[in-house]
Amino acid sequence: MTMQFALCLLALLFLAGIGTPIAFSIIISAIVYLAVAGQDIALAGEQIMAGLYESFILLAVPLFIVAANIMNAGTISDRLLNFCIACVGRFRGGMGHVNVVCSLIFSGMSGSAVADAAGIGKLIIEMMTKGGRYPAGYAAAITAASATIGPIIPPSIPMVLYALVSNQSIGYMFLGGIVPGLLMGVVLMTMNAIICTRRGIELEEPVPIKLIPGLTVKAFPALLMPAILLYGIYGGVTTPTEAAAVAALYSLFLAAFFYRALKLKTLYEILVSSAKSSATVGLVIGGALILNYIVASENIPNQLAAALVGIDMDPVVFLLCINLVLLFLGALLDASTIILVILPLFIPACRELGIDLVHFGVIAVVNCMIGLITPPYGILLFVINAVTNIPLGEIIRETWVFIAVLIGALIFLTLVPDVVLWLPRMFGYLG
Amino acid sequence: MKRLQTWLRKGAEGVTAAMLAVMFFTFILQIASRYLFSEPFGWTLELCLTLWIWVVFFGCAFVVRHDDHVTFDVIYYGVRPKTRRIFALISAASIVVALGWSIYPTWDWIDFLKIKKSATLRIPMRDVYSIYAAFLVATVIGYSARLIMLVRKGLPEDNEGDHGGVSS
Repeated sequence: MTMQFALCLLALLFLAGIGTPIAFSIIISAIVYLAVAGQDIALAGEQIMAGLYESFILLAVPLFIVAANIMNAGTISDRLLNFCIACVGRFRGGMGHVNVVCSLIFSGMSGSAVADAAGIGKLIIEMMTKGGRYPAGYAAAITAASATIGPIIPPSIPMVLYALVSNQSIGYMFLGGIVPGLLMGVVLMTMNAIICTRRGIELEEPVPIKLIPGLTVKAFPALLMPAILLYGIYGGVTTPTEAAAVAALYSLFLAAFFYRALKLKTLYEILVSSAKSSATVGLVIGGALILNYIVASENIPNQLAAALVGIDMDPVVFLLCINLVLLFLGALLDASTIILVILPLFIPACRELGIDLVHFGVIAVVNCMIGLITPPYGILLFVINAVTNIPLGEIIRETWVFIAVLIGALIFLTLVPDVVLWLPRMFGYLG
Repeated sequence: MKRLQTWLRKGAEGVTAAMLAVMFFTFILQIASRYLFSEPFGWTLELCLTLWIWVVFFGCAFVVRHDDHVTFDVIYYGVRPKTRRIFALISAASIVVALGWSIYPTWDWIDFLKIKKSATLRIPMRDVYSIYAAFLVATVIGYSARLIMLVRKGLPEDNEGDHGGVSS
């Protein structure tokens, strides 16, 4: 390791550790690196600007953020919720199942776990705790756990970021997430059924069957969204980035004209908050670009790969180790930081060991999402705590069992790559 | 003074929101152009990319506050207020020094790009990238102000902002 790189890492860890915004910590440590190496410090800005300006696929990020915010503001989420209650609310632990199914459908639209938890999640928690049927902590925990499915099922902002750093096709990444996302839904619903039976949580008043067609009609335009997106991408009508714009346009159209639930003032507020989120995410991405440039010029990823090949590591053992590292980091760091900064270190090693990069990407994203509900730094726990005022301690106590089953699903996905790769291969992926 | 500040912030919010809206509709136009006309417009893509970097850096310069940034704050909120203040001082000072130091060389490079024109709209790349210089200057000024506030009054007690990371 060179002197300049050691100092760069030291500056980065120190500044980020004491609470300097991650993006600024990266830019400062990059400047340290360039200065010590005697290079032009303008190179930092050059890498950031050129990287952001030339990455066409990154345009999907602000557009998906806009789409998610519009869907939360309109009544689209209410309608979906009523539809899900009518369908699965009648079973034991009904509202818990509603929670998971809603996340599955909603995630087919927004691509953001935080949007899921803060929007539709908040509504469901209110319904679950009304009348004291479910403990508040349990309602919050299953909401947080099911929100992690959001970025696994397409569209997904984290997968767009992974596609950027690994040069994989966004289309195949999206396809690779579908089966794992459904699997996560199944394990969560199973766990919910077991817990609700054991605790003897009483049944909901079932929605009469004859009302279901009406509710379906009301929710139908919203249910159509995932279909439109997938058809757009895989039917060759739009690129995945353009699909993000179509998603935003469709949700805008639904909220404004079809459901008539969007005022001009709300739309303006949505644009402001989306621009704010895009700017903060964009700056982290920019920082990651310069850091990746430094790491690459130090030849770190290739050295790592050579070392791993040298000790003849088994690919499965390697993936399990990566899982451990990412679960640990996920409990401390933000998902976008892990995907953009940490994952590129391992990508050459995956290539050397013959690990499929779509498979690796999907399990890495699942890992990061589990990190979102793992204390101490579980953003989803904070978001739910902020929007519902349910104490963090209560939420965390009920979350562990869901974290455990999600990790079980993760290990299964790691050991059986075909679960991830089956669907992409159906669409012509040659991995 | 306070009113002027609020007014400026509102104005900056309006500008970023407008840039995002234009970007969104340009994108729609790009898809439409491919199907409605025989040839897609080339300029839509370039406009979107330009607006994207402007949303990021104009937003970070004038709209995003310190608490909105993605931050690792487990240690920061775990230490005593006195230590926390020292942490905040070191953070702000490092940003001011490092980013401030990079302003001149960075501008030198951006200014050099006046000879390079963008691919379809033929705008000098200097103008496209100039927002990064504005971002550096605004950030250095903003964190200098924060530094002065931290020295004089200590930490604002209402800094329990959200934890960022909307992308997740």
